[in-house]
Order: sequence, then structure tokens, then C-alpha cells
Amino acid sequence: MKQETVHAEKVQIAYAGILAKATTLGIALVVLGYIVYVFQLLPLSVPIDQVAGNWHLRASEFHHKVPGAPSGWSCFSQAGKGDMLSYISIIYLGIVTMMCLVVAGFVFLREKNVIYTLFSFAQVAVLVLAAAGIVSGGH
Amino acid sequence: MGLKNVRARLLPGVLATLLFLMPRLALASGGAPADTTAWWVWVLGLFVFTFLLGIVAVIAGVGGGVLYVPIVSSFFPFHIDFVRGTGLFVALAGALSAGSPLLRKGLANLKLALSMSLIGSMSSIAGALVGLALPEKTIQMALGLTILGITVIMFLAKNSAYPQIGQPDALSKVLQIYGIYYDEHLKKDVDWQIHRTPVGLVLFTLIGFMAGMFGLGAGWANVPVFNLVLGAPLRVSVATSVFVLSINDTAAAWVYLHKGAVLPLIAVPSVAGMMLGTKIGAKLLTKVHTNVVRRVVITLLAVAGLRALLKGFGI
Repeated sequence: MKQETVHAEKVQIAYAGILAKATTLGIALVVLGYIVYVFQLLPLSVPIDQVAGNWHLRASEFHHKVPGAPSGWSCFSQAGKGDMLSYISIIYLGIVTMMCLVVAGFVFLREKNVIYTLFSFAQVAVLVLAAAGIVSGGH
Repeated sequence: MGLKNVRARLLPGVLATLLFLMPRLALASGGAPADTTAWWVWVLGLFVFTFLLGIVAVIAGVGGGVLYVPIVSSFFPFHIDFVRGTGLFVALAGALSAGSPLLRKGLANLKLALSMSLIGSMSSIAGALVGLALPEKTIQMALGLTILGITVIMFLAKNSAYPQIGQPDALSKVLQIYGIYYDEHLKKDVDWQIHRTPVGLVLFTLIGFMAGMFGLGAGWANVPVFNLVLGAPLRVSVATSVFVLSINDTAAAWVYLHKGAVLPLIAVPSVAGMMLGTKIGAKLLTKVHTNVVRRVVITLLAVAGLRALLKGFGI
């Protein structure tokens, strides 16, 4: 019977390392942010009742009726509010993969693997453009 | 034996009937008037519901995202825009949590994932933009048809643990897509390579578009394409699917964030409930009859798909 051998490449180990740490931090941030939000430990930009009273509307109509609700990067202008803090923690989850891909890109670069260095940074570029709202309908 | 068979056939039927009838008593999403139930009742209910969904999803061997969107949009008063935005984060959080050990063990292959996700992530952005621009009824109809299609795939697909392929194609050689992993079942190393890479690229473009449009995690499509079309071993397909999903869903999630279709009040209990449920489900995996649960899930999906389709027709 063969003993288990790990065949993961260096780049995979590097990606896994940053992914594990970033995800653990993300889960902690999401939970903490939500506690601050729903228990109203900080003032809110929009009362919870107002959000719940309009969550049956289309997103565009919702923001028309509830103008202060977080959307895109607008949350950082009011980062001291409880609901914005919770929103920022969700935004963080959208950044984790980008961080991992940047690390993978540099490992591929060090290994002189041209194809996957290009693929990694091209993938980061697509996600950054989406995050910046350039290709994702942001304002 | 006989009793077991009756239970296995009866349970999905009873659940399906309940699911079909209950949303008529609860508030259906989309255009429904604001209700008077306290917000925390819905939020707590959502947490409990997604927790149960997480347990069922992992036992049935499906991603939580594909169950979340059709079922939550049937049972809860949230608009389908918010349900789709949250669905992407539910799938993303699950993929991020599962990812690290799969890479360390060499089961997931980053080169295979990156090759497919680059084009898939672009199409998922396009899908999300289209999905948020289309009228609600059209989305409901398309979602219903997609979910019914997924039900058929789940019912019919017979994955192959170790597909035999002839020669790897030229593109997969250029892209260095091959690997080796230790198979705990066979107790030996398994070498693998893939074929039909160009076909895979076309299919992942379509999958990305649909994932973005409906806010579904796309494991239901990624795995059969990796396994049955490209010829990757099942374990490699399942593990690599997690990474394609994390990249494609991240791209589409930004569209939903920028369009304001993610509400922390809904997203956080969903993500937390699903992640907790998935962990419990993984522990229960060896103790429950997975075939019965899988049948229940397929039935639930079929009914949720049918309901979405009827909603699309205004029925």
C-alpha cells in the first residue's frame, strides 16, 4: 500500500496559504460587522426597519426609495456607520480571490512560467476592473 | 427494505407538495407589498433555513448556491435581485472556505482553473449585467427553465470517477494542463490529463454567463464539464470547480455590489447559515442515506424551478 504523497505545486501551496488566512479573517469580519449592525452598536445610515420595509423592491427602486443605503464603494464615505461596516466586511470577501491571484502571479513569475504569469495578472485585471465598476456598471 | 423504499419515494413527494403550496401562504418575492412581520423574524428564519439548506446541500453533493436562489426567492419576501446578489456570496463564501485544503492536497488544479475562469469570469460579468437589466418576469422564466435543466442534469448525469481519454489535445499541452494526485480510495497516485480543451472553453463561457445572470454557484455545471467533457478525474473536477466558482462568482458579485443588489441584512445570515450547515452536513455525511437526501434535493429543485417558471408567466 502506497503512503500518501502530496503532489501540490509551489504555487498551489502559496495560494492555499493566503486563502486560508484571508478567509478566516473574512469570516470574523463578516460576523463582527453584522453584530455591530443589527445590535446597532454604532449609528446606522439607514434604519433597519426602512431596509426591511423595502427589500421586496427591485434593487434600483430600493435605492431610489432608500437613498442612503450602501452600494458599491460608497460605504467608505460613511465607514463609521454600523450598516456600512457590515457592507465593508462583505466587500472584503470580494477581494480575497484577487489577493490570492496576485500571490499566484508572482510565484508563476518567479518560476518563469510566462503563460500563467500572464493568465494570473490578466485575471486580476478583470476582477479589478469589475471591482472598480468600470466593466460592472458602477458609478 | 419495503418500508425504506416507501419512505424514499414518499418523502420527496410530501416535501414537494409542501414547497409548492407554502409560498402561497408566505409572501412571494417580486412586487409583493411590504409585510408587517418584524424584520428579525425574517432574518432569523433565513439563518435557520440556510443552515438546513447547507446540511442538505452537502449531503446531496450539490453547492448551496444553486439551491439558495430558487428556494429563497420562493419562500422569502426579498426581491430576486437581492436573492441573486446574496446567492453569489453564499456560493463564494463556501468556495473560499473549502479551497485551501483542496489545493494543499493537490486535488484542485490551479492551471486548469485559471485556463477556464479567465473567459468564464468575463462572461459572468456580462451575465450579471444582463440579468439585472432584464424585466423580472423574464428572469423568473429563464431561472425556472435553468433550474429545471439543472434538475435533469442532476438526475441523468453519471459522473465517471476515472475517465479514460485517448490523447490530450494540443491546447491542453500548451497550457500545461495535466497532473497527479494521491487517491485515497485507490491508495495510489493517479496521473491525469485532459482533452477537448477548446470545447471546454466555450462551455465555461456559457456557464459563467448563467452563473452571473442568476446568481447561482455553478458547481452543477463545472463538475460535469471537467469530468465528462474534458476527461478530468471526478475528484479533480469537484476540487477544481471550487476555484473556477470562486473566481467567476467574485467577478459577478461586483456587478451586484455596484448595482446595490447586496443587502448585509440578508447576505450575512445567509452566508453564516450556509457555512455552518455545510460543516454540520459534512459530519453527518457518513450517517445518513445520501440517496434519499439527493432525491429530496432533486425534487425540491424541480418544484422550485416550476414555481419560478409559473411566476414568470404571472401564474
